Amino acid sequence: MNTTEPGAGPAARDLTPEQAAAAERLRAAAVARTPCAPVRDLIGDTDQDAAYAVQSAVLADRLAAGARRVGRKIGLTSPSVQRQFGVFTPDYGVLLDDMVLTDREPVDLGRFLQPRIEAEVAFVIGRDLDDEAVTAAEVIRATDFLLPALEIVDSRVAGWDIRITDTVADNASSGALVLGTTPRPLSAVDLPGLGMALDHRGEIVSTGSGAACLGTPVAAVVWLAREAARRGAPLRAGETVLSGALGPMVPVTGPGVFRARLDGLGEVHADFIRGTRDVQEGAAA
Amino acid sequence: MTTAHSPAARNAAVHDSAAGLLDTAAVSAEPVPQLTSSGALTLDEAYRIQRLLIGRRLARGERISGVKLGFTSRTKAAQMGVFDVIFGRLTDGMRIADGGRIALGRYVHPRVEPEVAFRLGTDIGPGDDLDPESAVDAVAPALEVIDSRYRDFRFTLQDVVADNTSASGYVLGPWTRLADAGDLANRGVRLEIDGRTAETGSTAAILGHPLRAVHAAVRMARVQGHTLRAGTVLLAGAATPAVALTPGTSVEATVTGLGRAGFTVGEATDE
Repeated sequence: MNTTEPGAGPAARDLTPEQAAAAERLRAAAVARTPCAPVRDLIGDTDQDAAYAVQSAVLADRLAAGARRVGRKIGLTSPSVQRQFGVFTPDYGVLLDDMVLTDREPVDLGRFLQPRIEAEVAFVIGRDLDDEAVTAAEVIRATDFLLPALEIVDSRVAGWDIRITDTVADNASSGALVLGTTPRPLSAVDLPGLGMALDHRGEIVSTGSGAACLGTPVAAVVWLAREAARRGAPLRAGETVLSGALGPMVPVTGPGVFRARLDGLGEVHADFIRGTRDVQEGAAA
Repeated sequence: MTTAHSPAARNAAVHDSAAGLLDTAAVSAEPVPQLTSSGALTLDEAYRIQRLLIGRRLARGERISGVKLGFTSRTKAAQMGVFDVIFGRLTDGMRIADGGRIALGRYVHPRVEPEVAFRLGTDIGPGDDLDPESAVDAVAPALEVIDSRYRDFRFTLQDVVADNTSASGYVLGPWTRLADAGDLANRGVRLEIDGRTAETGSTAAILGHPLRAVHAAVRMARVQGHTLRAGTVLLAGAATPAVALTPGTSVEATVTGLGRAGFTVGEATDE
């Protein structure tokens, strides 16, 4: 039954003891909301297959607790970030239903450890993409519509001290996402040419363009479709894909609104608040 | 009180010699130490040196063709610890034809950045009180070549102002009438070197909206007593970080909806 879900992968495969320990470390950090040490001491800093196995194991727990897969996020789509990580490809993580917020919906800061924010284009996929050699034309045909999005990335690893295997194992450092609500067809948007401006309290804090994401966000989604199929978890109709940052990410340090403007795609707002989560837990303790 | 030994005369001589030093550095493409390494300068004094420096170009037959702003990006301003833009002057001698070729030997350590350029359709004198945007008649994609005359491209705010805000060269793409250009607030900008994307950004990086640069330039020109003539080019500011120029490459900027501007860099041995 799992195999028909979006993004379902070979999660239950056997892990090595080191991979299981890595998954347990990340799981415990998320539950305690206390950052942990990197996991590269356990799984090395180059073996992406091992890192994806850890990612699946951490996700399996959340799925068992009732979360639903709703899409994927693509990371490391900027050449400068790839250089920083010493890799030449992006990576991906899985989006769960409890990560998705709607434009202007309050975002509880208490759910994150060390949040950062970036503006992206979200692709909503309308058909299954099973082929490991899927083409750009097929991805374009399979895209139902685009939405402006803000991704709140977060790391369970203390101080964001991550290498490629740490971030892949940690579900590509995913946190949450806020989706805008004005759909646009791909044919109506100049994706590589679109400008992005992210502002906070009246100040521009990040700017960029569609070209910052692998030349065009379409190229990132093509990469994802192929990689996901290759890893046995192909993109499915209905998935929301966060295609990758359009400009530098910015730390979120307190309450307030971040607004992203994507030229031709509209706006999306993340309204961070100090929620009740910490208070409730403190009272219960 | 303006005897040869008065403080005012001594200052004038110091400023003139500073302008001479920077002018020689630009002409010979040999870097010089920061002016402020041998004595403090006020911002007013730095702008005085800039005027004297431009005066030397004009004396050689160049003509003022435009003005430019620096530190229009929040990141760059924060790096320099400043909260206002800086103002420099462009001459026709700095103009590089769209599609043209430059000789690297003419520069110390040149960098390039993609920009937006505006063109004034009417004069704006220091005393005029018209809406700056109403004086703009057209907009174009542009590239600016910046080249600090200081060693290691390092300078204080006063140093860079005295050095005419590192202005060195500029390329203009096709003009679009402002009325036909649409909303310029958030256009994608791409800088390509040999067809590969080197930097990407948005026109929003320019003071949040590039038209704000028009207001800032008019305000700065007024303070400087600088009349902006019809036809003046205004380089509004960089949309991405600058990239160092290397020999034998082609450089192109694209601003979504406005088109492209480009040039090629000659080999190191070119004259």
